[in-house]
Amino acid sequence: METKLIDHLFRYHSGKMVSVLTRIFGLSNLEIIEDAVQDTFLKASISWRKEQPENPEAWLTKAAKNRVLDIFRKLKSEQKLIPEIKAGFDSIATEELFLDAEIEDAQLRMIFTACHPKLDPKDQIVFALKTIAGFSTKEIASALLTKEETIKKRLLRAKKTIKKTNLAFKIPQGKQLPERIDSVLNVIYLIFNEGFHSNKKEILVQKELCGEAIRLCKMLLKNKHSQIPESYALFALMCFHSARLDAKINTENELLDLKNQDRNKWSFPMIQLGNMMMNKAVETSQFSRYHYEAAIVAEHIKAPNFEQTDWNKILNYYKCLHKIQPSTSYLLTMAVVCLQSENYIKANYYFEQINPDDLAQRSYLFYGAKADYFAKTNNKKEALKFIDTALEKVSNNLEKDFLERKKKSLLL
Amino acid sequence: MMIFIGEDYADLGLSPEEMQNRMGKWFAWSQKMDAAGIKHEGEALTSKIRRISGVEKTAKDIASTELKEIVGGYYTVSAKDFDAVEEIAKDFPDYDLGSYVEIREVMVFDH
Repeated sequence: METKLIDHLFRYHSGKMVSVLTRIFGLSNLEIIEDAVQDTFLKASISWRKEQPENPEAWLTKAAKNRVLDIFRKLKSEQKLIPEIKAGFDSIATEELFLDAEIEDAQLRMIFTACHPKLDPKDQIVFALKTIAGFSTKEIASALLTKEETIKKRLLRAKKTIKKTNLAFKIPQGKQLPERIDSVLNVIYLIFNEGFHSNKKEILVQKELCGEAIRLCKMLLKNKHSQIPESYALFALMCFHSARLDAKINTENELLDLKNQDRNKWSFPMIQLGNMMMNKAVETSQFSRYHYEAAIVAEHIKAPNFEQTDWNKILNYYKCLHKIQPSTSYLLTMAVVCLQSENYIKANYYFEQINPDDLAQRSYLFYGAKADYFAKTNNKKEALKFIDTALEKVSNNLEKDFLERKKKSLLL
Repeated sequence: MMIFIGEDYADLGLSPEEMQNRMGKWFAWSQKMDAAGIKHEGEALTSKIRRISGVEKTAKDIASTELKEIVGGYYTVSAKDFDAVEEIAKDFPDYDLGSYVEIREVMVFDH
């Protein structure tokens, strides 16, 4: 009798287990906890080869509870301190910590810990992916386009910092809370973007990362401390983006820009969910970057076809964004928006303000856009020059093909 | 008998996701053999190793991390000959981890 396992069951469970066990044994015992969790999955994966249990989730939860005692024994024999444990902690207390609401609470604590200002921002995202999302160092390395060695170093550094500063495993209160939620949202959005704009050589979209980011954000919305307009706006933004995931690539695995995407492929339920979240997000007078970004994607989705996109509205939203958080990529986007509405003078005004080196790995986008500008203003020679520079700078094969096709059309 | 030899799972640093995917492949393989009615028994072995050797019968515990090749488990199946088992062994999921399958015949004694 075959029982179909939930996709990513182990991964989700890993985040749950690490969080709950950390709540019991404290951050200082994270290594032991991670080993214990790893061991549980090994045992499961080998014993389930023959026959999967009726209720895999219950099996894993029970295994996690059994681990609590193992870890206790291990810590005792190593005479390690167990800081967070009150005297009289027993199996009843353990049972309670494994209730769904408590598990979610533990996971939230973990996200807030991962985003502690004492941790380097680069370490935050790696630490979050490892502990909450259950990614291996190899998976993180390929998701973030970084060497595995670097990822290992960052994890070590994060763990050292946590130990050294003796971080408390809790959701901060008072003045610290809004600041911390800000970094939590930022890390979630980074995870999403890594998935959505993946620079991986062959696979453009890493749905895994997008899904993980959405799952984490959903957790924030369930807790009264983090149920704030910004969280709703970020959730809406990720829904709108995800709705278009399947339309980004055609059947020949070619990258499609917005203009050529089949709008029938957009996921309507995702758009609806995004709209619902957006309605909750706008119950405030203070809009965040997530509000404006969501509004922009919504504007694209609203347009029945590419030609009817309301570029003026979009440009205004970008201006607001640039005001909140000036960035080169906003300037580039504004230039591109002006090209769309054939306002070449204004497009050039934005291009002039851009130093392509600020875009790092994505500088090819600048050269590609600039090529478009010259193509539209009938300067083929310059257009070809810029397309070639873009081709030199691009690493992702899909993006490369896209530029090659653009070049071909220029040569016709 | 198909004997599975390779690095111990615990030392490979697999992520939960990878373990689940691998388990799915094992499950599919074992089901395929069951459907064909050829599988008899199989066991998975833990990574703890103690070797006893010499006239002194010296016992030594070996950590799995010291060895790249340990026996991880086995299946016995009914098949016509080695070639037939080779065909079955093609579905073994862990070749990509550097593990391999050794096929041996279980000796049958005449009564």
